[in-house]
Amino acid sequence: MDQPNELILEMQNGDEKAFARIYSMYSEALYGIVYSILKESDIAEETLQDVFIKIWNNKSSYDIDKGRFFTWALNIARNTSIDRTRSKAFKNSRKNLSTTNFVDILSGSDSLNQSTNAIGIRKFVDALKPVCIKIIDLLYFKGFTQKDAAEQLEIPLGTLKTRNRNCIKQLQSNVL
Amino acid sequence: MTPQELITSGILELYVCGALADEEHKNITAAINTNAEVKREVENIEQSLMELSKNTAPMISNNVWARVLATIRPVRNLQTNRSTNWPAITGWAAAIICLGGIFWMLNQNGDLKENILLTEEENTVLKEKINEASKTVLAHENVLEILRSKDFNTIVLPGNQAVAPQAFSKVLYNKTDAVAYIDVKGLPKAPEGKVYQVWSLVLDPLTPTSIGLIDVTSIAGEDLYKFNTIPAISQAFGITLEPAGGSESPTLSQLYTLGTVAP
Repeated sequence: MDQPNELILEMQNGDEKAFARIYSMYSEALYGIVYSILKESDIAEETLQDVFIKIWNNKSSYDIDKGRFFTWALNIARNTSIDRTRSKAFKNSRKNLSTTNFVDILSGSDSLNQSTNAIGIRKFVDALKPVCIKIIDLLYFKGFTQKDAAEQLEIPLGTLKTRNRNCIKQLQSNVL
Repeated sequence: MTPQELITSGILELYVCGALADEEHKNITAAINTNAEVKREVENIEQSLMELSKNTAPMISNNVWARVLATIRPVRNLQTNRSTNWPAITGWAAAIICLGGIFWMLNQNGDLKENILLTEEENTVLKEKINEASKTVLAHENVLEILRSKDFNTIVLPGNQAVAPQAFSKVLYNKTDAVAYIDVKGLPKAPEGKVYQVWSLVLDPLTPTSIGLIDVTSIAGEDLYKFNTIPAISQAFGITLEPAGGSESPTLSQLYTLGTVAP
C-alpha cells in the first residue's frame, strides 16, 4: 500500500477530516497491536483513544522523509500500551497472561474482527511455524529490538533476520 | 548492499517493525527514497503485518473516534462560546427597563390616589361650608321677609338713660298672630350669670308680663329671638337684665330698653 502522504500533510496542517481518514486506515491494525498487549477490550479501546490523541498532538514530529508513518504510529501504540500494563489497575486485573501472544488471541476468542478473511487468516496463522509466531510476536507486536529478540530466542542475529523474512514472506503470500 | 541484497537480507522486515537502531534506520530510509523496488517491498511487508494485526483485534466501538474528536476539539468550542450573545443581552435590558417603568407607574398611581383622597377631604370641608352658608342665607332671607312683611310693625326700644344710654333694641311685632321678633344687636353682651328678660307691658295700670328670656330656647337668627306668646294687649315692650333663669317681675333698676307700641 502506498503511504497516503497528502492526507498526512493535511492532518499535519490541522485538518480534522484528513485525520478521520487516517484513523479509518490505521486504527484496526494499531488496535490489533494494543489489544494483543492488553487483551481486555475496555482498557484496549481507552488506550487506542490515547494513541490517536498522541498522534494528533505530536503530528508535527513525524517527517515523511525519515520513515514510514505506520512504523511511527506503531511505536506510539506499543509504548502507550506497555505504559498501560505498568498501571496499578491493569496489574490488579491481569496477572498471569504475560505468556499469551497474537496466535492465542486468534485461536482463543470468538469476538474477533468480523472482516471476511478472518477465518482464512486464522487457518493460515495456525499453519505458521511456532518459531515464526515467536519471532513475529516479539519483533512486531511487542516491539523488541533485533538484538533483544535474538537473545530472547537464543539464536544468532543473522538467523533471526532470515527467519523473520521467511515468516513474513509466507504471511504475505497468503494475505496479499 | 544492492537493492536485491537489501530485500533478501531481512533488514526491511525489521525496519517496518521499528526494530532497527537509528543509524541503520536512516540508511534504509535513504534506500527507500531512492529505489522504487525497495519501496514496493517495504510497502508489501507493511501491508502484510497490518493485515495480520487487523485480524487480531475485536471490532472497535465508534465511541473511540467520538472521544478522540471530543478531546482534540475543546479549545475551538471555548472560542465560540466567548462571542457575545446580543439578542439575549437586548432581551434582558428590555425586561429590566420594563420592570423599572412598571414600578414608576405604580408609584405615580399611589401619589395620584393620595391626591384624590386629599381633594375629597377638601371637597367635604367645602360642602360643609356651603351648607352653613346656605343656612345663613336662608336665615337672612327669613329675617328679610319678616322685615318686608306688612303684618309686622317695627318698634324701636331706646336705651334707658339711667342704665344703658347707648343701648337699643328692635321689636318686630305681628299683632294678628301674636308673634314678636326681638333684635338685640344694640344691647351689650349679658354678663356671666345674668340673662335679658323681655316684658310685655299694659300701661294703665302698669302691668308687666314676661314673654321669655333672650337665650338659646328662643333664638331665630343672628341676634334675633322669636317669641310666640304675646298677650293680646301689649302697649309697650321692655328688656331688663335678670339673674339666670329669669324673674317673676322685672327689676326696674336694670331696665335696659323700653319702648311703646304705636296705637
